[in-house]
Amino acid sequence: MKKVFAVALGVLTAFGGFLDIGDLVTNAVVGSRFGLALVWVVVVGVVGICLFAEMSGRVAAVSGRATFEIIRERLGPRTAAANLLASFLINLMTLTAEIGGIALALQLATDVGPLMWIPVAAFAVWLVIWRVKFQIMENVTGLAGLCLIVFAVSVFALQPNWSTLGNDVLHPVVPENESAATYWYYAIALFGAAMTPYEVFFFSSGAIEERWKVKDLAVSRANVLVGFPLGGILSVAVATCAAIVLLPNQIEVTSLSQVVMPVVAAGGKLALAFVIIGIVAATFGAALETTLSGGYILAQFLGWSWGKFRRPAEAARFHVVMFVSIVVGAAVLFTGIDPIMVTEYSVVFSAIALPLTYLPILIVANDPQYMGEHTNGTVTNALGSIYLVVIVAASVAAIPLMIVTGAGQ
Amino acid sequence: MTEKSTDTRYLDARLHLLDRQLIDHDGNPAGIVDDLELDGVEQDRDIDIGAPPPRATALLSGHVFATRVFGGSPPRSRYTEFPWRLIAKVDVTVRLRDGDHPGEGDWVERWLRRRIIAHIPGGRHAAE
Repeated sequence: MKKVFAVALGVLTAFGGFLDIGDLVTNAVVGSRFGLALVWVVVVGVVGICLFAEMSGRVAAVSGRATFEIIRERLGPRTAAANLLASFLINLMTLTAEIGGIALALQLATDVGPLMWIPVAAFAVWLVIWRVKFQIMENVTGLAGLCLIVFAVSVFALQPNWSTLGNDVLHPVVPENESAATYWYYAIALFGAAMTPYEVFFFSSGAIEERWKVKDLAVSRANVLVGFPLGGILSVAVATCAAIVLLPNQIEVTSLSQVVMPVVAAGGKLALAFVIIGIVAATFGAALETTLSGGYILAQFLGWSWGKFRRPAEAARFHVVMFVSIVVGAAVLFTGIDPIMVTEYSVVFSAIALPLTYLPILIVANDPQYMGEHTNGTVTNALGSIYLVVIVAASVAAIPLMIVTGAGQ
Repeated sequence: MTEKSTDTRYLDARLHLLDRQLIDHDGNPAGIVDDLELDGVEQDRDIDIGAPPPRATALLSGHVFATRVFGGSPPRSRYTEFPWRLIAKVDVTVRLRDGDHPGEGDWVERWLRRRIIAHIPGGRHAAE
């Protein structure tokens, strides 16, 4: 059982990246509009995040440096500040959306309006960050999030035509009623969600929280290889469910209730119960991940003491930043903004944050002063360089495509 | 700006010192290396041939984020000075020796700790 929990950090990190409220909806939107024609993007994204999360975990275990510390050390204060600003905004927007997402999921279960749930959700997130130990936090949210496996089960229960599905995946075509620009906009949104920078911030800082050392490199690698592919598979399952049930009936995804519709069609009330627990856990986990990431990156950039392993009094600024972030997120939601729309716009900030996050990781993973004998191998470097090109291309194309397509309309 | 340390290891001040994390003797972050104080260098004047080589006398750290990003030089009062004798080890991080550190922590941190964090239940205890 201990071994199962050893990969909790990877599972929680990946769920926050692949199955947070924005991605749950985006995946269902993509499935209902493009079928399985974008599954290849998730595969590319999973390989990319595995590659760089493994590097960031290795750097953290060997040198004791979390990702934003090496960003500051390698890029200098100006460029690192640009990354900080973009990454912090992504975090804050995602956190806002997640608090809203918890409220929406609880609304599905209780019929009590989301505005009543927002303060409850925000307080619960703060309480966990304030009082609950890091290991317990990741084990509980990771385990409860596994309820989302019901999406994968539903794909089988819906008894689709497997050969058609397989053909859609292997020979992707842009549907007739969609433009190529929209197709590529969603491709970048999915890629950006898979590689979202807060995953490496959280994963590397979590490695420090768990006090990983060189002897834990195998654990780090296991976390990466279990967590991210699992997150990727489940996000594909969400899209597949939508492609099987929603696409033929031309149902447009506008809220969570359409996302869970295929699961209800496959498994009824019991499946609905699982999916609601799973969504609450995944969005709650993502809220914790983004809140902590915001605190981590600001503290690491400015050299403050940070970490849940310290008493709050010993990391006062770190805890104040996170408290303020949660309050701001909840306050923004009370303006009545659609939480899911908020995450869609974070793609813009990914454009700045993606290259400025992954380049320093690649550089430091090759620096013997930090890494000793654990520097990158040739294959890792070759793959890392190829991915940097893809990342730069995606970040350059993100904003123009967003404007052209009106954020995927 | 290269400097020789005792074991003739070469340090590039920009690459190996600037922006590195200062860690106190308890292992807690104590700030960031924002600047280096050199002895024997004067602004706008060449160093005389035969003069003793410049020495690094202290590392400076402080609330200088704005000038580091936008340029300009901050007033000296915004820096905390860590004399070189307090530096135990220069590696990926810069470790400080046990001793009376100037400033003894950051005033913002102390103020927030005393005025806010300590008053919230659980603020003084580790998470459970």
